Amino acid sequence: MNKKYDAIIIGAGVIGSPIAYELSKMGYKTLNVDKFHDAGEGSTAGSCAIVRASYSTADGVAMAYEGFKYWLDWENYLDNVTDEKGLARYMNTGSILIKSQGHKWQKVQENYEEVGVQYEEWNNDKIKEMVPVADLHEFWPVRRPEDPKFFDEPTNEVEGALFCPEGGDVTDPALSAHNIMRAAEAKGAEFIFNAEVVDVRSEDGRVTGITLKDGTQIDAGIVVNVAGPHSFLINKMAEGVWEGCNIKTKALRHEVMYCPAPEEYDYLNEGYHMSDGDIGCYVRPEVGNTFLIGSEDPDCDSQEWVDPDEFYEGKGGHGRDNVLTEEQWKAQCYRLGKRIPTLQVPNQPKGVVDLYDCSDDWIPIYDKSDLPGFYMAIGTSGNQYKNAPVVGRMMAELIDACEKGLDHDNEPFQYKFKYIDRSTDVGFFSRKREINYNSSFSVNG
Amino acid sequence: MQIYVCVKHVPDSSAVITVLGDNQIDENVIFLLNPYDEHAVTEAVKIKNSLPDSEVIAVCLGKDDAEKTLRSALAMGADRGILVVSDAPHESIEIARVLKTVMAQDGIPGLIITGKESIDAKGMQTMFRIGALFDFPVATNVIRLDIEGDIAIVDSELSGGAVDTYEMSLPCVIGAGRGLNTPKYPTFPDVVKSKKKVVKKIALAELDIGTSKADMWIVGLEPLVLVRKPKEITGDTDEVAREVIRILREEAKVI
Repeated sequence: MNKKYDAIIIGAGVIGSPIAYELSKMGYKTLNVDKFHDAGEGSTAGSCAIVRASYSTADGVAMAYEGFKYWLDWENYLDNVTDEKGLARYMNTGSILIKSQGHKWQKVQENYEEVGVQYEEWNNDKIKEMVPVADLHEFWPVRRPEDPKFFDEPTNEVEGALFCPEGGDVTDPALSAHNIMRAAEAKGAEFIFNAEVVDVRSEDGRVTGITLKDGTQIDAGIVVNVAGPHSFLINKMAEGVWEGCNIKTKALRHEVMYCPAPEEYDYLNEGYHMSDGDIGCYVRPEVGNTFLIGSEDPDCDSQEWVDPDEFYEGKGGHGRDNVLTEEQWKAQCYRLGKRIPTLQVPNQPKGVVDLYDCSDDWIPIYDKSDLPGFYMAIGTSGNQYKNAPVVGRMMAELIDACEKGLDHDNEPFQYKFKYIDRSTDVGFFSRKREINYNSSFSVNG
Repeated sequence: MQIYVCVKHVPDSSAVITVLGDNQIDENVIFLLNPYDEHAVTEAVKIKNSLPDSEVIAVCLGKDDAEKTLRSALAMGADRGILVVSDAPHESIEIARVLKTVMAQDGIPGLIITGKESIDAKGMQTMFRIGALFDFPVATNVIRLDIEGDIAIVDSELSGGAVDTYEMSLPCVIGAGRGLNTPKYPTFPDVVKSKKKVVKKIALAELDIGTSKADMWIVGLEPLVLVRKPKEITGDTDEVAREVIRILREEAKVI
């Protein structure tokens, strides 16, 4: 006899785990299956775990701002569960968004006003006071070091910044997923690891369960795809699901660099998270007084869409495998080196290469599917880590409402946030939507 | 004074090295400036900044791609570079003869600094061979270098941690150890400045390095598999903490 659950969640990362947690609290018997060896060890582990509210849509800002409240109240959120690995810590550094041509910052500011996000406007003098190592010249447009114009002398200056005193990062993203797993288990959720899904089964037009690589069949009337960069592979296994999505997802390779901060600058204790579209980078402090340098996907950088299994096995060759490239190391470090001219860039690249589960418009799909009982929390596009606890609750309520008969495609579910006084139309995240051209089409969301 | 720094283009220490055939590695990995040579360049630039009218010249024998490594040395403050281009692999007898020839042809070395070893071959021979060819004194694993007039005062760390102090006449050859300095990596403005610096390329065939009485070649390459022997530290918290501190202090010597 196959084991049977109310809901199977494919993936135990930072979004799969909270969906299990919230469904379990609602009385569902859940099982998470993950092909890696522990919670959060897939692309969650490679996340920069940045918590910021600067999104290009009001719904994006609202969800992120709601997320802050969970990170600030982590122990209570977890219902004070103990985790033998310890608890992840949220570092509220504050978050700077440089006003530049590389960001639709005016839209972000409108969204801050609409949602009620606390923020300050900083002029360049104020930025200089708060970030003394910064050179506030305008370097736009973003280029690559292979382009001779990369080295041109700048003349203008950026236009200041928006600063949110709330914002920062979570010290250990994999641990945060593990924490939520322990909290979910305390509510009865089960997790299995090293378990690869090879089929999503259905009968009479409804999902019935999954089959694992070793042949094990597990049954459930609800299956949720939270497979991160593997999401498109899972969607293709489920009858009619891939075809029923107007917005598709794919795995995008991404490199993040670690570069030591200038000696005289205590970035770890005095620095801020900073989104800087003018140089196409975002940065946050990392232990060892190091800058963690992410890329905001400037047009001049190529995008490598890869097979996630080949990638994690180290296959694909230069620029497509899971090894840092020297070209990108120099591109990201030298871009930051323009903003911080005292930044010393070592010869040896250091950093992380991982995958985004990227959607066509870089906005996630939080939705049901064309196969009844099959749901999706996918297409997180490198910008949903911070929202994970909110998404867990929203998805659980969406699933519960749909299972109770809601016609979500025609009467979209309205999710009432727990902390901020606002609802969000979950139809915003629909698989059926047309491409949302308000998006930044980047990790900025 | 002309300060020559001999640098090598080596695989990144974090690269996965694959042996191809009997005696080659798959070179489809990141190659960069040998880490010990970073100390050598940093020290050379420091000395240059304290001695008026001095110049730092980075020299390298390698493939065309090794220009990148010379560019790294220039970004770190060397004034110019010389690349002797050769696609063939070379061992220390040849390397030393090539570097000696090119340095002697270029100028008058007042000081030659190399890394104490390259992280690929780990032969630790090139500096001694250069010293012998020039008839200059050599010190290796140098952790302090002071230039006082015509004399170099050096601290050289021996295995086991003992330190010998030497006074050496200039010119001399210094093998830079890790303790010599903290490498000063280039900032973006340094990189911009270095773009104007010149790397002169010389084909190996253009140099008359003469013939050597000795020769060496790689007969075979095998991956070295390191076997870790983990040991559990047992006892109560105090005992475990004490043992960890003892290991860090006495075995790892990091505290």
